[in-house]
Amino acid sequence: MRIRACHLYPDLFNLYGDRGNLIVFCRRAEWRGIQVQVDEVSFGQKSPFIDYDFIFLGGGAEQYVDIVVKDLQGKGPYLLEAVEKETVLLGIGLGFQVLGHHFSAQNGTMFPGIGLFDAHTKARPDRLKGNILLEVAADLQEEVERIGGVPLTTIVGFENHSGRTFLGEAKPIGNVLKGWGNNGEDKTEGAVYKNAFGTYLHGPLLAQNPHLADLLLARALSRKGEVKLDSLNDELEIYAHNVMKKRLL
Amino acid sequence: MRFRVALLAGKLVNFLCRFFRYSGTSLPGGVALKICPQLIYKMAPAYDQVVAVTGTNGKTITANLIAHILRSSGLSVANNYEGANMIAGVATALIKDCTLNGRARSQVAVLEVDEGSVKKVFPAVQPDLVIVTNYFRDQLDRFCELDHNITLLRRVMTDLPSTRILLNADDPLVVAAGRDHSAVSYYGVDGKQSEDKTGDYDIREGKFCPDCGNSLHYHYYHYGQLGDYYCPGCTFRRPVPDFLACDIKVDDSPLDFTLTVRRWNSSSEGCSAADTVRLRAYIRGFYNVYNILAASSAAVILGVSEKAIQASLLDFAPATGRMEGFIYRGRPCTLALVKNPTGLNEVLKTILRKEGEKALIIAINDLAADGRDVSWLWDAGFEMLDNQSINKVICSGRRAGDVAVRLKYAGVPLSKLILEPGCRESLETLGLQGAEEYYVLVSYTSLNKYAKLLQKMGKDVVRGADQGMPSLS
Ligand SMILES: [Zn+2]
Repeated sequence: MRIRACHLYPDLFNLYGDRGNLIVFCRRAEWRGIQVQVDEVSFGQKSPFIDYDFIFLGGGAEQYVDIVVKDLQGKGPYLLEAVEKETVLLGIGLGFQVLGHHFSAQNGTMFPGIGLFDAHTKARPDRLKGNILLEVAADLQEEVERIGGVPLTTIVGFENHSGRTFLGEAKPIGNVLKGWGNNGEDKTEGAVYKNAFGTYLHGPLLAQNPHLADLLLARALSRKGEVKLDSLNDELEIYAHNVMKKRLL
Repeated sequence: MRFRVALLAGKLVNFLCRFFRYSGTSLPGGVALKICPQLIYKMAPAYDQVVAVTGTNGKTITANLIAHILRSSGLSVANNYEGANMIAGVATALIKDCTLNGRARSQVAVLEVDEGSVKKVFPAVQPDLVIVTNYFRDQLDRFCELDHNITLLRRVMTDLPSTRILLNADDPLVVAAGRDHSAVSYYGVDGKQSEDKTGDYDIREGKFCPDCGNSLHYHYYHYGQLGDYYCPGCTFRRPVPDFLACDIKVDDSPLDFTLTVRRWNSSSEGCSAADTVRLRAYIRGFYNVYNILAASSAAVILGVSEKAIQASLLDFAPATGRMEGFIYRGRPCTLALVKNPTGLNEVLKTILRKEGEKALIIAINDLAADGRDVSWLWDAGFEMLDNQSINKVICSGRRAGDVAVRLKYAGVPLSKLILEPGCRESLETLGLQGAEEYYVLVSYTSLNKYAKLLQKMGKDVVRGADQGMPSLS
């Protein structure tokens, strides 16, 4: 078994440990005998996104927003097409915001997103930051159980964002138990549309949340017809997850 | 009057701190600044020279090296300590150095200044010489972003036209931050070093030309984005260093390299014999070549002779946690502070350069001074530790679990990982490991705890002794 992954803008959007998610995704596939081929795709490069099973878009510094937004005008339709054809996509931080309808920068400039999520983002001067704890949305919890993933019902992570994201039709990944989430107001965190996930939980999200990693992996595999995952020894991951969970509750 | 009151208040707080053994290195200055915000403006002119060191990594050791060299050459020096490198810490250092009448005791002030604090500190101290070491990503939640600090320095320096500035030529971010200034000197490390066996896991900042936005090209990298770079689209390139380190020996302690000083007023091209000196210091790690080089260059600028620098470096002992040597359970044990991916990678490379089996503690906390966000662990090249010479890694600290998970995904076998969050417990476990050498890598808030325990449970290596060869056990 072999799946194809794409690291989108690895040179521009590589903020603070986000690449760890791709490492975790690949290792957890390899430990189950599934090979992952990772391609790096950056600005100016054309790519048939529909061929990828998993696309990762990390967070970025605001200085590169101009370049990425401009480049996404060209890539956007192909990303949308891929998601319609069940490609799994994970966008973090700024990589989440660019997937909505539009978002604003700190100085008030409005940028268009690709409109994958029915959501939009406004910047505010103060940052929402700190450790965060979510309760995973019920349907995702059931799915984790069904595919044989690690039986965790919460997500832990770290957020640090000035953007406030408001969801339209898009559903959140989970409810905020501790922390800020999308906007600090409505207790939602992240967005889900088909196999596309967006979140403000930056850094090694999938390392602290192996059940989420497995859910993404199972969905990527389901394009090939497979759904049930072999279980792994996740003692360390569960320990790290629970230490943070206990601290926040 | 206000100044006198502030000074006395600062002195009093300092006395109380010492009396109660509270290591409040910022508190006296903080109190005094509340009373008299102009305090530093009034105190700094009393010094013949004010030297300031800023940048992401190497500030402490570079400032300490400069102070050490100046003291050896007969000058009296006031300086601050790491953790007290914001404005209150600078004020504390000056308050401690002056008499009750407000007269400075020392001739020179050598200050390390946090990258985010240059805006407040530099106008107040009016430095004669500023040294910029490097810019790497640090914990995001502490200082917004790298670019902010770089812009900040550039702006602050335009208001200090007569200040001399010494820049790391090998870091394009440092050069972009300081090159507009009128009195600039550069230091740099020459030539490609011997091929690293550990592989390249560095995150490189400053990928793009500050003038035209093209991707920078490199003839070679030293570490991080440090190296010999040039822009294919315009004239931006690594400046020719005025102070050059070459012929470097890093494999053993002491570090050993040749410093070449280019004198622009000399009529002949190239360097005469008088401009070259061999420097040795009992510090480990290739990255410390940069720190010794920066400090020696600064000392030359301040008028110290190369011979005096050479002699002075030989009896320098690094501060707590800068590859500090101990003997623990009869084995050499090195304590190193780690606080960002680039610094951590350099420590790991230094460890792996030595032959023989090693056992490590990696203790990471997430208190305010460590950075609340430990995501940076995933930007560091822990993959290097998937190495036969690594016997055991003990994961410790408040984020022990996250360290263990990181190492697992870096390819370190589970059989080599031990989870032991406690400080004392982790050291006890380390002492049971049958390796030839021990290493303790810690984030900021557990540094002193480990240093104290190692002093109590082990022995300090005598100053100036070869840290690789225990002579005391
Ligand atoms: Zn250029």
